[in-house]
Amino acid sequence: MKILVPMKQVPDLVEELEIDSSGKRLNRDFLKFKLNEFDEHALEEALLLKEQHGGEVVVVTLDMAEADNLLFTAIAKGADKIFKIPGNCDEGIDCHSAAQMFATAAKSIGFDLILTGVQAADDRDGQVGMLLAAFLGLPHVSVVTGLSLEGASAIVHKEYAGGVMAEFEVVLPAVFGIQAARHTPRYAPVSKVRQAWKTSKIETVDGGTVPASNGSVVNRMFKPESGKRAELIEGSPDDVAGKIVDLLKSRGLL
Amino acid sequence: MTETITREVFQNFPAWLVVLFYVVSFTSIGIFLHGFSRRFRKYFRGRRVDRFDDLPKRILNAVRDVGRHSSIRKSDPYAGFAHFLVFWGFIILMIGTALVALDYDVLRIVKPDWQFLNGAFYLWYSLILDIFGVLFIIGLLMMIVRRRTFKLRKLDYARVDGSKDKYDRSQYAVDDKILLTLFLLIAVSGFLIEGVRIAATRPSFEVWSVVGWQVANLFDLSGISPSSLHVYVWWFHSVLVVLFIAYIPYSKAMHMLTDFANLLFTDDLTARRLPKIAEGTPTGYAALKDFTWKELLDLDACTKCGRCHVACPAMNSGAPLSPRDLILDLREYADKQARTQMWFHQKLLGENGEAQVIAGEVIKQDVLWSCTSCRACVEQCPVGIEHVSTIVQMRRHLVNEGAMDDGLQDALVKLSKYGNSFGKSDRLRAKWTDGLTFKIKDARKDPVEYLWFVGDYASFNPRIQELSRSVARVLTSAGVDFGLMYEEERNSGNDVRRVGEEGLFEMLVESNVKTMGKCHFKEVFTTDPHTLNTLRHEYPEYGASYTVSHYTALLARLLDEGKLTPKRKLGHTVTFHDPCYLGRYNGGYEAPRKVLRALGCDVHDMPRCRENSFCCGAGGGRIWMKDENYKERPSENRIREALGLKVARYFVVCCPKDVTMYEDAVKTSGNEGNIVVKDIIELVEEALGEEESLSTPSLLEEPI
Repeated sequence: MKILVPMKQVPDLVEELEIDSSGKRLNRDFLKFKLNEFDEHALEEALLLKEQHGGEVVVVTLDMAEADNLLFTAIAKGADKIFKIPGNCDEGIDCHSAAQMFATAAKSIGFDLILTGVQAADDRDGQVGMLLAAFLGLPHVSVVTGLSLEGASAIVHKEYAGGVMAEFEVVLPAVFGIQAARHTPRYAPVSKVRQAWKTSKIETVDGGTVPASNGSVVNRMFKPESGKRAELIEGSPDDVAGKIVDLLKSRGLL
Repeated sequence: MTETITREVFQNFPAWLVVLFYVVSFTSIGIFLHGFSRRFRKYFRGRRVDRFDDLPKRILNAVRDVGRHSSIRKSDPYAGFAHFLVFWGFIILMIGTALVALDYDVLRIVKPDWQFLNGAFYLWYSLILDIFGVLFIIGLLMMIVRRRTFKLRKLDYARVDGSKDKYDRSQYAVDDKILLTLFLLIAVSGFLIEGVRIAATRPSFEVWSVVGWQVANLFDLSGISPSSLHVYVWWFHSVLVVLFIAYIPYSKAMHMLTDFANLLFTDDLTARRLPKIAEGTPTGYAALKDFTWKELLDLDACTKCGRCHVACPAMNSGAPLSPRDLILDLREYADKQARTQMWFHQKLLGENGEAQVIAGEVIKQDVLWSCTSCRACVEQCPVGIEHVSTIVQMRRHLVNEGAMDDGLQDALVKLSKYGNSFGKSDRLRAKWTDGLTFKIKDARKDPVEYLWFVGDYASFNPRIQELSRSVARVLTSAGVDFGLMYEEERNSGNDVRRVGEEGLFEMLVESNVKTMGKCHFKEVFTTDPHTLNTLRHEYPEYGASYTVSHYTALLARLLDEGKLTPKRKLGHTVTFHDPCYLGRYNGGYEAPRKVLRALGCDVHDMPRCRENSFCCGAGGGRIWMKDENYKERPSENRIREALGLKVARYFVVCCPKDVTMYEDAVKTSGNEGNIVVKDIIELVEEALGEEESLSTPSLLEEPI
């Protein structure tokens, strides 16, 4: 069983986000990046499957920011091979392009199963997994919270709103969007990561060319604007309480 | 007629009995050597570690410690005194016996002219041995009384990890009884032999055997014929001695040998400076083969005195860790593997005997994660056991396996990504200085006298940021020239190392050492005792050797030199909490008390103070973990202790983590208004008269 985990990085909220002068995108000058949290769950689920059934876990990522560290951390956690798709993505990449690059890379790497994170915190449209499945012509299940392998198929649990669960049997190969792994993603001890930097090799895999304009287009990006009707009640706790009571009375709620 | 002043060995013994005695003696010595060599081989198989440096000094220290019993008397004067009597009684009686063997078994045969057990020497010999024999018996009786009637918690062998039905430790108590009883019978029967011998012939010089003479008198009174008894009493005594010798390496009596060795080879810096990852154990301790010979010796050195057990903050809070049980469990496991099990050992019930991995199975994860690395166990241990570093070695394995609490994992991930446990951008590290009316120097650009290593809590926690600003104001008013590393400071790594994340520790150290190398300063100071410890004891091994002080020492100096002059006497009644890493770890007991007295505070120490201080529960990375194992959190236990003084209005601390831990504990234990937690700098600033408003406790006014 060869499990492929495409991973990507998203802006790290540890730094204040700024919108650049175009008003359509983040100012990327001081942006820090971190691994998409859902991709971490996809990797964890892949590693758990490998521990159960054997096989190998292969991680592939786009060339940007801390890609190398991301890949070596995956090795430290137990991944077997790591690939980087060349082509600078530091300026950001939309999900259609990302899915296309991952699809091209996946074909040349080979796989039995692809696990992606269900979505990423950057564009939040949760489409990389679906598009990837579409480009590869494979079955796809999203929002997966449970996964087990039985012969040539996988039994997956999908979570619906209101706590309803569905169980699918999917013939492999397939692409699953992982919502949560069975366990909290494991810790990668720094010494193992450092060891990986020294002893592991990042392979490159071609992602092909993608059209310059692909996927959705952002018209305007802006910070949440405070509503005009909000009224700040100030004063001592007693004053504030009094004003709230008056307010509730005036609206006929008391 | 003049008497020959000596005594005849094997008086009235037929030859075959003498031969029998030697056969029995050599058999027992053989059994002893067998057990001893197996134990010795066990240590020999341990990983190498150099503990032979400065051997003459080590020997001197160990002999002095054992001779004076300083470590045994330290926290239990009664037991220390009793042991002192037993120890010296035993040593003198053993020398006495050895002299008989030398005189009779060696000199009599090879050089009879040199025999010395006669004349004046014999008289002194008789007197001294009799006196020490009595002291020996007194010590033993004190111990028997202590064990039978004192009902001490430290001598209760019950486990604290909730697995009572999985273990049987009743044999430990049997071992205790056997040793004391054996000693007592040997001593008493020794006097009986002497009495019988003297009663039979009454040589006048034997009045020097002060006790034996009186025993002889008793025989006279009783009317029993002494000569008929002699052979029986003699054999009774001899058989017990012979049994005892054979018993030593298979019982708690082994401590007579292991404990001296353990004190000899102990590391004075233990816990203060943890060992680096050794070759051959890249991932911490998973198996017995990873242990050094000293760590294996530690296990056998334990006498189950229970001092660590009752001092441990984890054990006292209902967590499953007891340092005593941890050492004993490791001993039982090591002995089983090496086939050196004690005759009286812990019995495993059920399927508990299958454990193979040291960290996680033999010693359970939650036990290892319960340690606050407060060093109370090491401080208390009279025989130099190094619990903390062994625990950290096992934690290293857990970290490598990723077996940890989510909160801890989260903190480690943040520390490796951002260099602080708060997961904040490094650009915000010095944001706390924004609230100051002056700019603190950047030590990377401007030369300063003091580099202030601020630490995570003092930089990022909003409550502690206030205190950092106080420190900055006070030092500036005293004209101290100091600077910061600003955004390039990283967590010092003290607690990261104690968690067992050695790789991350090294990464943080490398970064800090590099930055410190760029700065120009003479000395370093910090408000965080944890940071103080690693900078002082561990950074030198990574190329950063600086004079490092705690701010309390700096404040004490400034007050002394008149650079800080309190405008008024505060007159507060306070108690002071010794932070583990300032006190026990670094001996900083006086400076904070000196400061408090200089401010005009009336300092009342809690029962557990100075080296016996009770940990707040935050050390060793515990601050990042969940508190779920506790019945009562250590910090709440401590607040209860402070309230027990009934006089302290302020609970004074001088460690950023203590402020958060104890302010929290005051709230959760419902004691708001009963006592107020104060950092020492708040009192300093109050006395300097710069911020009067701080003197009134504000906690009650805040909405809950």
